[in-house]
Amino acid sequence: MPTPQDVVDASVHYQGEQTQSTIPSLLSVIIDTNPRAWSALNNTLTLTQAVANALVFTNAHLAGDNANEVSIIAAHCNRAVWLYPTPPRRNTNAEAAQPPLTGNEFPKFAEIKHSVFTSLRELVSETTEADIKSTTTTQISGALTLALTHINKTSISLTTSRGAGYGGGPTTGSGPVATSTDGLPGLNARIVVLSVSDSNPAQYITTMNAVFAAAHSQIPIDTLCLRGNPTFLQQASYLTRGIFIRAKEPQGIVQYLMLGLNRLPPSFEFASETSPNESSGKKGGGRGGTPFLLPNAELVDFRAACFCHRRVIDTGFVCSVCLSIFCEVPSEGECLTCKSKLQLGNYGARPVVA
Amino acid sequence: MAVPRGSASYKKKDGVITFTDDKKYLIWSPGAGTGPPVVSLAVASIGKVQQTPDTSPKVILKVFENPRTDDGEAIPYLFHYTSTTNARAEANAIRDLIAELLALARGDDPNIPKPLNQGTSSNGGSAGASAAMSVASAANAKPSIARWFDDSTLMKDAELQLSLLKKDSSLSQVYVEARSTKPESISDAAFDAQFWSNRVGLLRAHAIELNQSKGAYNILSTIKPRVVDGELKLSLVKEQVQMIFQQHPLVKRIYNENVPKPLSEGDFWSRFFLSRLSKKLRGERILERDGGQDPLFDKYSEADNTMGFASKITASQVPHIIDVEANEENQGGFKRGNRQDVEMRPRKNVPIIRTLNSLSEKIMAEVAPTDGKLVVSAAAGGGGDDGDASLDNTFQELALRDLRDEAEMQKIALNVDKHNDFFQNQSSGISEESKMYAKQTPAEVMFDLQSDMEIMDKDASGGADLQKLIGIDDDSDSDTEAPDGVKKGAHVGSRAARKAATDQIFESLEKTKTEMYGLDTDELSPMDIPPDLTQKCLITNATSVEFVKQFWNSFLSGDAKRTEEVAYYADAVKRSIDRIGALAEEAEATRVKLDNQRKQDIKEHYKKSGKKLRYIPVRGGKNAVMAFFATTLAALNHAQGLYSSALKK
Repeated sequence: MPTPQDVVDASVHYQGEQTQSTIPSLLSVIIDTNPRAWSALNNTLTLTQAVANALVFTNAHLAGDNANEVSIIAAHCNRAVWLYPTPPRRNTNAEAAQPPLTGNEFPKFAEIKHSVFTSLRELVSETTEADIKSTTTTQISGALTLALTHINKTSISLTTSRGAGYGGGPTTGSGPVATSTDGLPGLNARIVVLSVSDSNPAQYITTMNAVFAAAHSQIPIDTLCLRGNPTFLQQASYLTRGIFIRAKEPQGIVQYLMLGLNRLPPSFEFASETSPNESSGKKGGGRGGTPFLLPNAELVDFRAACFCHRRVIDTGFVCSVCLSIFCEVPSEGECLTCKSKLQLGNYGARPVVA
Repeated sequence: MAVPRGSASYKKKDGVITFTDDKKYLIWSPGAGTGPPVVSLAVASIGKVQQTPDTSPKVILKVFENPRTDDGEAIPYLFHYTSTTNARAEANAIRDLIAELLALARGDDPNIPKPLNQGTSSNGGSAGASAAMSVASAANAKPSIARWFDDSTLMKDAELQLSLLKKDSSLSQVYVEARSTKPESISDAAFDAQFWSNRVGLLRAHAIELNQSKGAYNILSTIKPRVVDGELKLSLVKEQVQMIFQQHPLVKRIYNENVPKPLSEGDFWSRFFLSRLSKKLRGERILERDGGQDPLFDKYSEADNTMGFASKITASQVPHIIDVEANEENQGGFKRGNRQDVEMRPRKNVPIIRTLNSLSEKIMAEVAPTDGKLVVSAAAGGGGDDGDASLDNTFQELALRDLRDEAEMQKIALNVDKHNDFFQNQSSGISEESKMYAKQTPAEVMFDLQSDMEIMDKDASGGADLQKLIGIDDDSDSDTEAPDGVKKGAHVGSRAARKAATDQIFESLEKTKTEMYGLDTDELSPMDIPPDLTQKCLITNATSVEFVKQFWNSFLSGDAKRTEEVAYYADAVKRSIDRIGALAEEAEATRVKLDNQRKQDIKEHYKKSGKKLRYIPVRGGKNAVMAFFATTLAALNHAQGLYSSALKK
């Protein structure tokens, strides 16, 4: 804010745009480490290569702002594991704690890389054949939950520290709104999922719970799908206003990450409400009043499928109690889900034509 | 015949019961009967009239007013005749007049129930007159309300339909178009019936809309003289005059006495609006410098206007629990404590407050109460104390309910099992994924995973060199050089791969952009279809949808009687398909013409200037129209298909 002295002074001052958001951004990357899927992908892209690309992505995120943070989680076939920040280890192995510091790398980057690869190594070594045999998909819901709780914890710790230390925070006056409505205060969080496997129907409820929690806190869930068909993640992206990219060329993974999945913090996306052709401020906003488009051209298939055969139907019968859909009248008029006796009206009477 | 008057008491207040001059209203005014009436019943809405027999000492007239809503109760009004000498005669006179008027009113009403029942009239002598005083049917009071909710009435009301069509131009377009293109086999009447049967809601809304009118408002405040050509002009409409008379009976009285004899109408009004009386009625202050006194008008004090008016609210019994005045009195009055706040002290020279208050009260008295019960009828059981019912009502309204316990939520438990089946998407048996997984063996998978890790381990510095892993080598000229150890050409991070990724992302960005913002031309000429053709397409679409809807209606009802209808509509559906085809052809012809034109222009331009312009083919021909109608065509074909298969059976 220009002071009177600045106005009188003949020198030129650079007043950086106060729209620089000083709210830290927390990026959570969830890497699907389903061994079977990666083994299928082995010829095009290996797990380590993918992880390396993801690390480049996180380093870029960290480079954006001093206060930015990152968390990386592996969704393995039978459990979800923290890759970074490392959980307190059971065996206090001094060597594993500190990465060897060379003069060539930014310490934070080195720390993250070391932590990720160490944990990954441990994870792989602890995987047994039995684990691999047990399932063909990954524990994505567990990973989502881990990410969300970490985000929540960070947000709380940030707001309390901010309140005590700064007495109101440095973003006063011309800065953007410190919290989005309903969003987590003090933190811009988002989740990026690198997915290689299908969605496990048994995990539907848990996954959707996590998705709704994210949607409520305005945490977008972006997905880069390298292979397979993760339908739940498609829905998740749709619900949380995230991006879903189905990579046609998995080897270009670095480009997908850097070009497609980078986002401005929401304060930019919702900033300028005065642009003339803005569409209800959904994706409007941005520095010059031009809206910030996201590459989200994947259409989610919302068509209803009947509950008895999982066939996609156009017209069907709906139970008035539990709203489950059937393609034909269920036997004895008993709804398959709620077991209530149903009666049929005069619909479906055989049309008398001739 | 002179209007009969009688002194009667209503709700224990003395007053005079009589009729208005035009005999349209039966009115009762308290006191000497000079002021405006507190109770005024339209003769047209009087249902039953009862009177105590001649033999009884008390003379009481009971009048039932028809309920204003369909299912209300008839509201009774009780008048006790108080005249010591003449009560009976007065009562009889009034009752006879009521009977006559009712008979007149019902003279042309087809549904007069003829014979009396339940001995309503007690006086045998006037049985003849009483016969006409029939038990009221709903005939008078609620024609309009019944009309709105009766679907068949709405459908028959051609006038209403016409006015709706006039109002809504798109609807009328659809109607006209559908009507002109319907197959001859459906008669006009049947078509109309079908058309409107789906749109009864629209008709109803329109009828209600037409029926709404503006309520009463303070008319004097709206009449202001305007300056036209240097002189003040004032125009009065008949409705305004009526409203003035209604709101200010004093003006009416003066009018009746003075027009047309001493004063002409024009004179009357001009003098009125210039007089001090009109100022007083408006509530404006009168300063001495205002014009001189009008000899006629200013004789009257405007107090006459308001004084006779006894508030309807206070006239009726107020439940004790909310009667503020009575309660204050009960506790010994309110002349205690500090003087009232500056705002609340009674003021001297602000006549406007009194005027506005009394005027508002008058206007509100006329308005139908929103909670469905008239203030007057609070004493439902008789002219005496509060009926039990009303006291109970009041208590219900005032009772505090917030602090009670929350009511138990009535939940219906659903027993849902077999979750997993529902969350699997369409699995056509074994999917490709499962097949692939079946091929793998866990041992292989383990090996792959571990070898991957080892590659990384072998790297120096205990971690991985990210740059190498990413595989982006800026210095390499082309990716066909095989970097050592890795497959030639395609590798992770090769330029080709990156470019492909970039292209994909930009493509989806473009798609999102068009979806979100559309193109400017989309309004008038979507997909470059010329505007007039677009209009035709829109109308055709609407009519096709209409026909297909009627078709489904009759097809699915399974009603044997409607078989012919079904056939007609199937025919209409077929014609719609043909129409769409015709439109597509037309579009194509236009397009070809434009295309040739464009090519011609380019050639000429080249001839003239030697420069070649880019040739952009014209869009918007048959393909566009077909794309436009894709979903409609699918629906039409589906309908046709079902019909023909049903026919075959």
